[in-house]
Amino acid sequence: MFRKFDRDQRITIAIFAAIAVVVLVLALSIKKSAGFNTILLGLFYGCQYSLIAMGLSIIYSSTRVINFAQGELSVLGGAFFLTFVQRASVPMLLAFILAVLVVASIGALFERAAIHPLKDSSIITMIIMTIGFSIFLRGIIKWVWGANALPVEPFTHGPPLHFLGATVERQSIWVFGFTFLVVIAVYFFFNRTLLGKGMRAAAENPDAANLVGVSPSRSSLIAWTMAAALGAAAGVMFAPKTLVSWDQGVWLGVKGFSAAVLGGLGNVMGAVVGGLTLGVLEFVVLMFIKPEYQNIIALSVLIVVLLLRPQGIIGKTESLTV
Amino acid sequence: MTTSGSGNPPATANRSEKEKSLKHLARDNSDYVILLVVSLFLLTVPIWADYVSTFIMDAMIEAGIFAIVVIGLNLLFGYAGQISLGHAAFVGIGAYTTALLCTRITGFPTWFALILGGLLAGLIGLVIGIPVLRLKGHYLALATLAFGLIFTELLKTQNSVSNQSNGGIGGIPNFSIFGLTLKSKIMSSTGYYLLIWIIALLVVLFTINLIRSRVGRGLRALHSSEIAADTMGVNTRNYKVKVFVISAVLAGLCGGLWALSSGRIEASMFDLRYSILFVTMVVIGGMGNIWGGMMGAIALTFITKILELQIPQWIPNRPSWLADPGNIAVVLYGLLLILFMLFLPKGITFGLSRLGTFSKQGGSRVKDRLRAIRYRGG
Amino acid sequence: MFWKKRGFKLFVVVMVVTTASLLLSAGCKPKKASGAEYKVGVVISTTGPNGPLGTPEQQALTLYEKQLNDNGGINGRPIKFIILDDASDPTKASSAMTDLVKSQNVLAVIGSSGTGTTMPMVDIAQQANVPLEACAAGIKVTTPTPGGPPNKWVFRTPPTDAMAAEKVADYLASGLKVKKVAILYDSNPFGSSGNEVLKALLPTKDMEIVSDQSYETKATDMTPQLNNVKGTDAQALIVWGTNPAPSAIAKNMKQMGMTIPFVGSHGIANMTFVEQAGDAANGAVFPAGRMAIPESIPEGTEWRDVVDKFRADFKAEYGSEPNTFAGHGWDAGVIIANALKISGEDRSKLRDEIENTKDFAAVDGVFNYSTKDHNGLNADDLIMVKVVNGQWQWLKY
Repeated sequence: MFRKFDRDQRITIAIFAAIAVVVLVLALSIKKSAGFNTILLGLFYGCQYSLIAMGLSIIYSSTRVINFAQGELSVLGGAFFLTFVQRASVPMLLAFILAVLVVASIGALFERAAIHPLKDSSIITMIIMTIGFSIFLRGIIKWVWGANALPVEPFTHGPPLHFLGATVERQSIWVFGFTFLVVIAVYFFFNRTLLGKGMRAAAENPDAANLVGVSPSRSSLIAWTMAAALGAAAGVMFAPKTLVSWDQGVWLGVKGFSAAVLGGLGNVMGAVVGGLTLGVLEFVVLMFIKPEYQNIIALSVLIVVLLLRPQGIIGKTESLTV
Repeated sequence: MTTSGSGNPPATANRSEKEKSLKHLARDNSDYVILLVVSLFLLTVPIWADYVSTFIMDAMIEAGIFAIVVIGLNLLFGYAGQISLGHAAFVGIGAYTTALLCTRITGFPTWFALILGGLLAGLIGLVIGIPVLRLKGHYLALATLAFGLIFTELLKTQNSVSNQSNGGIGGIPNFSIFGLTLKSKIMSSTGYYLLIWIIALLVVLFTINLIRSRVGRGLRALHSSEIAADTMGVNTRNYKVKVFVISAVLAGLCGGLWALSSGRIEASMFDLRYSILFVTMVVIGGMGNIWGGMMGAIALTFITKILELQIPQWIPNRPSWLADPGNIAVVLYGLLLILFMLFLPKGITFGLSRLGTFSKQGGSRVKDRLRAIRYRGG
Repeated sequence: MFWKKRGFKLFVVVMVVTTASLLLSAGCKPKKASGAEYKVGVVISTTGPNGPLGTPEQQALTLYEKQLNDNGGINGRPIKFIILDDASDPTKASSAMTDLVKSQNVLAVIGSSGTGTTMPMVDIAQQANVPLEACAAGIKVTTPTPGGPPNKWVFRTPPTDAMAAEKVADYLASGLKVKKVAILYDSNPFGSSGNEVLKALLPTKDMEIVSDQSYETKATDMTPQLNNVKGTDAQALIVWGTNPAPSAIAKNMKQMGMTIPFVGSHGIANMTFVEQAGDAANGAVFPAGRMAIPESIPEGTEWRDVVDKFRADFKAEYGSEPNTFAGHGWDAGVIIANALKISGEDRSKLRDEIENTKDFAAVDGVFNYSTKDHNGLNADDLIMVKVVNGQWQWLKY
């Protein structure tokens, strides 16, 4: 996070920060406490987008693949959590850990079986591969868990808390806390541990990394496992609020892409920024326009970023176009 | 895994052998022969289909409609090497244009509405294609995905286009030309069957000619290596946009036909599921293979229909795990996509292999391609 | 030669698969309707968003088929319901009905569970001249132009959304006695149709719509819309949609401390709403067929007897109480069977006989079809239900 930004990036970040401040001030002054609540709501959902986007960026930076199944992995996490808690009466904490582990291993399995053998294939092949995976997972979730939206109990029960004029649900506290910890952990992993730094090296220059003993293949495996775990964690965290339903994966994925691209695809910390930004933007804008346009906001962000500045806010200007 | 299969000269062929294979290519009329055979076969279907099973005609109509867009998409994927995850939007543009023209303006000729639908879709394809096709690979996929989704979302918010409460349009008249009006699908399938398949086969003919033309060669060069093709003077940007627009026009045509033959359209017919379905059809049918699009459309339509309609009728009291056979199709398609990419991705490079020049299977590293050019003295 | 091309092998494979599928479907030859059974097609949504509506309908029809056939069928011949799932998808509903009409030569079709999936079936019924008994509530199913003549071949069993809206409007005017109302409706056909009806109806009862907003069917958080409502002087909130969104709205309202009454549509007349909303469901009010609270049906009437028997039989077979949707399916089957007794195997005569159904006591109410009315019921066949402590209570006002 303290890396040196080049001039291009600094300008973009400055513009972005300025717009953010303006929007927030507008929201708070026009709508006051409703505005504050909305911003918190946006941050809440923003955490979900961030977690998913982090997974996407981790995979992209290691393997240059966009995981179109990221949303489905998230739903799967929530689904397994639900099964462990409701069918097997497993205590919530344990169920959470188990769900994350199960989905992480599914991610790892997929990486070994499908991604690794094809690492030299064309982009179209990889894209279609992950799309196939997402369709497959969606079908399996519908098959096993049914077509209805399934409710999940929140981690702690009780009335929402009030603070500074805002109403905060208890589950939100869990979400904020968890996301905060995860972000710190991920940052620590990629910047302070040998394994993480090795993965970053492998992402930037696979051949050189290979020479010094870092295996790009192992990086890829770890990346997919981590991403699946992050997605699953997001799924579990949000299940009490959004229920678990087989068709949620599509939009989770799309918003994850928007967030990841906004922050710079491949840039893990950028994904966090992107996710939170997208969340707040979505809900704040909703205060001023018709609610039907909710999804269009995320899509517009994606399109605008892709067309104007594909490397996102924090990304460096690399050759992303032909 | 070696990529040289039957009929392809080994990678280190010398010049004269390469020239021979290229000449062989030029004289090859097999595609036209296949087209003729297939056309004749398809023409006979209405005669015997109802005796075998009454669902065949309806399935073939659906397959034919989708074949049109899938063939276009096949050009985009297999020959131009670009990807689009939002093509259902173009289908929707064609459908809504045709439907609006025919329902809002009484007596508007349906055949003209159909053409306009295709053209409008193509125009929008041009407008979107120019900026979007600058992006490559994953970014292109995301951008097309986003545009496709925006179309559906916008449709949902605009109630003014619809004459029903569900954001759709009903009461679309049947196709008519030269004073001859087709009967609705439910009364007699033959009319729409013939219309749709004649158009589909014409599209195939057009595609065959396109591939064999200078444009087609440029496309193949483009697919194998954009940078190499650029260097050799192929205007890559131009070609990419052209193919995108063609595929958009075909999608619009497909949409118009769908609207006319169904009599009723609504937003859910043009959402992401269908974009992905088209992609699945292209992949399973075989990318870069002229017949891939058509075959994929027919195969998948039949498989889905059998699973959704026939199995529930054959086995009415199903065990609960089999309660939703349509969903099994979904799981199957996902699995097939994965398996095809693992074991049969050659479809993608099929177009390439005919040149016999680049043997590395779909290598994405530009360095390797440039190396290949250097060594082959091409 | 072209058979050596790589793609040719793939071509062959795909051709083989296609031909195999064709031959496989050769099993489904068009079946003649003559023979032992009366065939009635059923296209309902047992999966998808309308699954909670379609599944009870399927259960009811399966039970009815068994009961009817065990008791000698219709004039000695059994009835057969061929049940297909449309997965809440209009395109699939269309394909399914087309297949049933063409290859199975069914005498009539029942379905679908929701308005969106039923509309294409209406087209087919009208074009192919097949009687359709719909289980959907959208008014356009039977009456394409408001106040105009009904579609010749289409009838329905559930109370229409127009009736439900009338009941709600009546409750707001006479029960709650409010003047300013906010509406939140689902952007799907069910919600949009209801909204149109409400917008026309409420002003006639001297009420003002101070806020009219929609939400995405799959949205999980309607706080933005509710914020807008909070800013108005609405005295009640009408929520017109099907699950799961209304439960999210209820939870949102509770969290935001909104105390104005939550008035739902008949779309939440099922326990799923209560399950999904938990505590927040308490206090919610919605219209439902009287079957929801059978005690509301006057004792001693034929209607009451029919309902009591239906509940007992359903419970004996499935172990749980039937809900109003099961009733819709049951009634569709019963009305058709009743008409079949007189009409025999003729679609046109069957249609005529269905139209002649008068004073027919079924589960949803006492049906009276006529050339002008293919809906059969009216707003008095509905009651208002309130959720109290997770249970339903008859709300008399």
